[in-house]
Amino acid sequence: MGMIPAIDIQDLSVSFPGRTGIVQALQNLTLTVAPGTVYGFLGPNGAGKTTTLQVLLGFQEATSGTARLFGCPITQSIARDKIGYMSENPDTYPFLTGRELLTMAGRLFNLPSPVIRKRSTQLLEETGLSAAADQRIAVYSRGMRQRICMAQALINDPELLILDEPTGGLDPLGRRDIRALIAARKAAGKTIFFSSHELSEVELACDRIAILSKGRLIAEGPVSTLVPPGESLERFFIKAVTA
Amino acid sequence: MKQILTLTVVVWLEMMRRKDLYVLMILMATLLAGLLSFDVFGLAGVTGYVKDMGLLAVWLLAWILAINTSVRQLPQEEQRGTLFPLLAKPVSRLTLILGKWLGAWSVTGFALACLYLTLCLGIFLKGGRFDAMTLLQAVILHGAALGLVCALGIALSTRMNRDAATVTTYVVTAAAFILLPRVPSLLLGASGMMNTSLYTLYYLFPHFELFDLRRRLVHDWGCAPGSTVAGILVYAVLMIMTLLLLAWLGYRKRHFSRGDIL
Repeated sequence: MGMIPAIDIQDLSVSFPGRTGIVQALQNLTLTVAPGTVYGFLGPNGAGKTTTLQVLLGFQEATSGTARLFGCPITQSIARDKIGYMSENPDTYPFLTGRELLTMAGRLFNLPSPVIRKRSTQLLEETGLSAAADQRIAVYSRGMRQRICMAQALINDPELLILDEPTGGLDPLGRRDIRALIAARKAAGKTIFFSSHELSEVELACDRIAILSKGRLIAEGPVSTLVPPGESLERFFIKAVTA
Repeated sequence: MKQILTLTVVVWLEMMRRKDLYVLMILMATLLAGLLSFDVFGLAGVTGYVKDMGLLAVWLLAWILAINTSVRQLPQEEQRGTLFPLLAKPVSRLTLILGKWLGAWSVTGFALACLYLTLCLGIFLKGGRFDAMTLLQAVILHGAALGLVCALGIALSTRMNRDAATVTTYVVTAAAFILLPRVPSLLLGASGMMNTSLYTLYYLFPHFELFDLRRRLVHDWGCAPGSTVAGILVYAVLMIMTLLLLAWLGYRKRHFSRGDIL
């Protein structure tokens, strides 16, 4: 018997009413992400990346098709037990302190209090936020907020980490910190599924990539197989989406 | 239950740190100080008007707090973007609604207790007092009414934006409180469709007047029968459950999108 895929999307389509009629955001997307893979989800703006993530996280319903996380239908909230999610914008509660945010996140995962305390301290250290742990998030810089959001995504030690543009809007130091956190999860054998426009980053970190254009999957596979020798991922990507 | 309580704690922390409650208490204290400084007909010992006006102030302030706190909970999560990391956790939408309702209600209930305490202190300083048992009944029923207001606010906020939900909750609760008790007298002259419509409205809207024991407190009429109070509490529980069920039905299939949906 094969391993249960971390993400299993079958024939997924999403459409919704737009200003000029029905918008087909995703068309028959089929995608499987094996556990332990670092998976890059690429596409130009409006390709359907965010829609896919929104369906996977239960923010939006699919028009047709199915999606499963570790074999569990995404319609069940329990499917999100093993995942961590960080959005592009570090949106969080400004009135909480960093430590309180992590405690809240841990409790929402039904983790026991000693585990929450231990993991919070560990993650605050890992994200370099120990000194600011008891300050309100309202006073954090964007980079610090991004890191605390990353920490709360990791509170349950997720088997699958879903990241939407994790380094978007960050300065080089902030990017380095987030990259280090992703690398640590990769080394621990966790599955990472992320959408990004930073192709050089994707090329370095990902085992496999999928390229989406106008709601359709146009390329999928290991970076080394997809990208011809001597060509950069950026060049390949531009060729693929403009073809 | 742990998840519901966690969401409730977040509502509490926000309310305490936004300082809304302190403003409310300062308002109440100022109002009470103003009332206590008057001597009606030159009689320093008359406390009936302080009780009457003070209780009205408690009802108004608690009503405003209950609506503003409950209605903003869900739309605020969406606007702030915190709804997305929240729903990405194993938190069902029903849990979210229950947590937010419990948070809004418990904060309002706490504020209500503080408001009554301030009022009792003021009355005591003026030389008067409330009958303890009647006061207890009044506070419990008032708290139940606020639970109902919070459930209505949450239910409307799942269907409307924050501003529309706020206005609608104010209008519906005010109409229910002021107009609903007059419906039976209107029914006497009505017939046919008018009669049916008025009856439907009468039974559909929450009856806030049932929870109001102000006159008993002001005129020292003594306690309401225990069975009546219990019956009203059962009514409150049923209404709250119905409203929260409606909230969940409006929320469970709702699509949420972050900025550019594609």
